[in-house]
Amino acid sequence: MSLDDLLHRKSLLVCVGPGGVGKTTVAAALALQAARAGRRTLVLTIDPARRLAAMLGLDGLDDAVRPVPVETLPGARGHLDAAMLDTRASYDALIHRIASDPEHRQRILDNRLYRVMSRSFGAAHAYVAMERLHDVLGAGYDLVVLDTPPTRNALDILDAPNRLATFLEEGVVKWFVRDPGVGLRGRLLARGGAAATRLLGKIAGDALVQELGEFFAVFMSLREGFQQRAEQVQRSLRADSSAFVLVSSAMSSNLADAQFLHDGLVARGIRVQATVFNRAYVQLGDDPDQVVTTATPRALAHAAGRYPDGDPRRRLLAQLDVLRAAAAAENLVAAQAVAQFAGQLDPTCLKVQVPSFARELRDLPALAQLGDRLCAAVHAG
Amino acid sequence: MLSGPDPLRHLLDRRLLLFTGKGGVGKSTVVAALAAEAAARGLRPLIVELGHRATMQGIFADMGATQPIGHEPVPVTADRTIWAANLDFEAAIVDYVADQVKLRSVARTIVGNRALQGLFRAAPAVREIVMLNKLRLFERAVTRGRPTWGPILVDLDATGHALMLLEMPRVVGELLADGPLRGLVDALTGLFTDPARTLLNLVTLPAEIPVQETLELYHRLRRERGVPFGALFVNNVPASAIDGELRSYLPELAGLAAREGLPDLSADVLLAEQAIARDELVLTLIAQMQHEVDLPLALLPRLAPHEFDIPGLRRLGRAALSSLAAPPSPVQWDIQEQA
Repeated sequence: MSLDDLLHRKSLLVCVGPGGVGKTTVAAALALQAARAGRRTLVLTIDPARRLAAMLGLDGLDDAVRPVPVETLPGARGHLDAAMLDTRASYDALIHRIASDPEHRQRILDNRLYRVMSRSFGAAHAYVAMERLHDVLGAGYDLVVLDTPPTRNALDILDAPNRLATFLEEGVVKWFVRDPGVGLRGRLLARGGAAATRLLGKIAGDALVQELGEFFAVFMSLREGFQQRAEQVQRSLRADSSAFVLVSSAMSSNLADAQFLHDGLVARGIRVQATVFNRAYVQLGDDPDQVVTTATPRALAHAAGRYPDGDPRRRLLAQLDVLRAAAAAENLVAAQAVAQFAGQLDPTCLKVQVPSFARELRDLPALAQLGDRLCAAVHAG
Repeated sequence: MLSGPDPLRHLLDRRLLLFTGKGGVGKSTVVAALAAEAAARGLRPLIVELGHRATMQGIFADMGATQPIGHEPVPVTADRTIWAANLDFEAAIVDYVADQVKLRSVARTIVGNRALQGLFRAAPAVREIVMLNKLRLFERAVTRGRPTWGPILVDLDATGHALMLLEMPRVVGELLADGPLRGLVDALTGLFTDPARTLLNLVTLPAEIPVQETLELYHRLRRERGVPFGALFVNNVPASAIDGELRSYLPELAGLAAREGLPDLSADVLLAEQAIARDELVLTLIAQMQHEVDLPLALLPRLAPHEFDIPGLRRLGRAALSSLAAPPSPVQWDIQEQA
């Protein structure tokens, strides 16, 4: 099994990982790789960085799906689309789709709590990410590559829909909705609800409670759709045709976050199928896959018989040795951290590491180069 | 804005110092370093994390932290000069409700209600408001007639969440005509927009993508007003790889390697060229930030893994301090002088 196999066999890849490790770039490189191999692919990113758009050869990235000019790469034959998850726009699109009549729709869009919620980035983001994922999974792609927010919030994508569904199922929402309870249980619930809303009014203010009531009333009407789609997506995420790819650097701070995320996924019954250690080492030998961790000083040896003591070229050669030794020492620390982390991963989890490139990736050819490396890369640990 | 002869001293005099930046730029390291320096100056620093991660636990694990860092502050160094808390959502709700109903046991009963718990978790803005409220409670706390904590250094979550958190009082404020929350939101807005008490600091790395995103964040925050700015911290600034006056000899060595067929020397020259390119990029990015950002820049040298101890953190904090006090010129700046 290699990353290449995953790209060919799966229909959904979810890239998770700490912030700042190049997760978005790795997701884009994997998607590009699949597209170049002929698969109809979509990369759905959450990162608003303009740089990713530039790297993909696009003017910008937003909620709309845009084709990436893959054909500019020599020999490429596939199709790659890219889109960015825009919480507010996705939310509004969702409401437009679900709310049946224009009046109902406007009532939701005008609700001030709805406006707060759609602007917020936390749980709301996870809800719409879920919805958006549901849409794109039904859009006829061979492969969807999903980029996720850093660490903890990636787990929200797994938890939030259930939380919302449970919440809507529980009695709370009904307290606020002016639909009187039916039967004895209903009346008791209504009475308990009245007591609870009074209490809530005391601690949060009556005005807010009233706003909440309206907010929940509109959300109650969305319940059916939400729940059904959340369940579908949860099934898709756990299906054999999906794979989770954990992306980290080799830095211990990032690895600690990656560990947290990995354990959180496992606790939710999700297996991490591949771990990518991005920018894990500096290439010091001829072989890009070889991690050189020891450096014999060698540059200064070339000074012998050529340059006298104190000659600037001699000093420069000595600094080359220092530089090489420092790079090897950093590689060693990184290699040990990677080995320790990889050692406790499931043996079936694919582990790959790629070197840091001398230059930051700027365009499609550079991204394709990263994709090649990812699929050819050595197994770590 | 900071000004005066010793801006960082004024920075540490603030009640609340908030830190934000893209994930992975080392906010926690900057926060820990400034806390170490504040403690060395006899202040009473409190580090606060917002429950998302538990980075401080790892940083201070080998430095004398004996208790797990939880919702209420605990000392994290053997000499008990640096304290830390990692806020817990449920506990923060109890804090808030207790403030309203004046009886902690009643508050626990209310918050213990399962249905209400579901509401608290799913209702918008509750998390943000109760977390900010806890920060306000720390800020107000008094021991023997003087503030218990100062400065309170808050390690905010990655940029998106930080923006949301800081926007929340204003956004929610629009919803509230009066009622008990109105008072709280007004108090929060007052605290977070008062430059005498609160400063928002940005943290970044000297690499293209983090700098680009920091500039975007800065301009966005500038546009949307709100919280007053402190400083821009540039973390993990590498020492110069090859002395400036020796660089001009590299082509000569490259020529020698090519002429005499010395592949290992060619590889070493290539490595040096890459390192120099990286150093030049670092200087360019720092210059770009100095040009575009109207904030004092603090440069923090890169620490080796074995230097992550209290003295190492203090050195880092002091380096940040001195570079704030004497803004570096990008051309003359040399990390060796900072360390």
